[in-house]
Amino acid sequence: MGNGALGMFLAEELIERQVGTVVVVGPRAREAGASQAAGAMLGCFGEVTTESLRTDASRIRFELGIAAHDRWAGVLERLEKDSPTGRPLQVATESHVILNSIGADLDDVNFAAMIDALKEYEKPWSEIDPNDIPGYKPRLESRALRAVHLPTEGAVDARGVLAALDVRVRAAGMTMVDQTVRRIVSSGDVVSGVELDDGHLIEAGKVVVAAGAWSESLARTAFDDNAENEFDMMPTIPGLGFAMVAKRTGGEPFTSVVRTPNRGFACGLHVVPAGDGREYYGATNRLVDQISGVTWMADVRFLAQYSMQQLDERVAGHEVEQWLAGNRPVTLDGFPLIGWLPVSGLYLMTGTYRDGFHCAPLLAEHVADELQGKPGIIDPMFAPMRKPIVTRSIEWSIDEYVKHNLAAWFETGAQAAPQMTTAQISDYYRNMAVQTYDKLGIDYALGPDILWYVQGSLLGARRIARYLRRHRGLSAPQAQPVSAGIEGGRR
Amino acid sequence: MTTSQTAIEDAVRKVIEQQLNLAVHGHDLGPEDCLWDMGMTSVTCLGLMLNLEDTLDVELPESLLKESTFRSLSSIVAAVESARVSARN
Repeated sequence: MGNGALGMFLAEELIERQVGTVVVVGPRAREAGASQAAGAMLGCFGEVTTESLRTDASRIRFELGIAAHDRWAGVLERLEKDSPTGRPLQVATESHVILNSIGADLDDVNFAAMIDALKEYEKPWSEIDPNDIPGYKPRLESRALRAVHLPTEGAVDARGVLAALDVRVRAAGMTMVDQTVRRIVSSGDVVSGVELDDGHLIEAGKVVVAAGAWSESLARTAFDDNAENEFDMMPTIPGLGFAMVAKRTGGEPFTSVVRTPNRGFACGLHVVPAGDGREYYGATNRLVDQISGVTWMADVRFLAQYSMQQLDERVAGHEVEQWLAGNRPVTLDGFPLIGWLPVSGLYLMTGTYRDGFHCAPLLAEHVADELQGKPGIIDPMFAPMRKPIVTRSIEWSIDEYVKHNLAAWFETGAQAAPQMTTAQISDYYRNMAVQTYDKLGIDYALGPDILWYVQGSLLGARRIARYLRRHRGLSAPQAQPVSAGIEGGRR
Repeated sequence: MTTSQTAIEDAVRKVIEQQLNLAVHGHDLGPEDCLWDMGMTSVTCLGLMLNLEDTLDVELPESLLKESTFRSLSSIVAAVESARVSARN
């Protein structure tokens, strides 16, 4: 189930291995899916933050990206001939990461962490004059004073890659069903197929749920009539992102990915050449209660204004050709969910957040191995029914939350009273985070994006608090304190 | 108002007073007083919701997890009663 990057690369892998009959179910338009909206930067080191290598778990995940990166040359070589777009699938072969002063010191520390990682892994890079980046013409007050060139981190045309995969698997005789799944059908503890929304049944001995942000709710249907097995997987949350493809109307085009470090709860501001004089601008990230394809006015303003200010003044005159909205599958602990579920024959492959597209070829190989009963090629730590992976303390989480909020505060041009200092803004966010933990009554430390989400979503807060309270090993419930005073002002 | 309704209102009032620390401020909560105007934030509301559900052993439906539900004592009592009726049916 699922015809995004994970599902399609897995289908292709299985066809290559000639393992039997493979059927992919998913709506052809892939509306609101993450893959169809992806910028598809093939970035490992451009994505590095201070968290990437801080813990063993984070490092293992980071190294998945490196292993995936190495597979892309081969992927492009075999897919190019099936591409129906008439343009090369690889739209950029290199990246430039800029450090400007628009955000907060989160940019500084992530930029430094990226350089440290490049040195540690002995990857090629160089520091260059930002003015030498083709196409980079920001407003002067937003100009970068430092930039790093990553000669091996480019980008692909995500929609072109998906189209090429469509062509390739159809040509191999695989069935693609332009439908959505109503439920997974099982007999006892064994999966037996899926029921489509139109009522048809597809029988299957093995079912892989690779439906991105829909995966959790779909997997849950296998347990609806299964009293023996309770489905108590950690919550996943849709990370709704917005990006746009625009046609350049003047000025020097970008020839590489140009991006900031990851910042402010999101993946940083970036531009990706899209071929035929078009450029992809992305991306926002909001964790939301429900999957949707909506675009918020605030996100449109954010992307348009800051692309113009921080990347190229000429963006203001670009012609928008595509508005892209997609929902990334975000897990409670930020790590993927990959492995067998407690119904025989049912496999889950999701939770890849922002690097699902990039990691898809590697994960496809791993999952195909497991489906064939062979040992997988990635660490088993991402098994879906695991408890959340611990990577931070509560205090660390609060510090991270403050840093991300400060980055968002300054990037979005928020105004404080003249006499108000950055320390006072930090205190405000720190108090918010402390109160939130106090109210949730949990001791599992959340990532900054999840913490931000639960503050604004009663539904999300309830799901997450209940889940973590049930799993006392990691999140011993505390008595609900009721001592908090009346906080100042409604958010 | 039935005995059950009175008991719910008393329980809800107690949780609100605890969460908003009203006793310290000597405020006598009226049924229609706007909690948002009394300084409730999204974070206070989060604690209020979790405590209400724990205390009253009720799950508010998703459609009621919104700002207007938590506007006042009376709106919260109505939501709790509605959720209990739904759970019984």
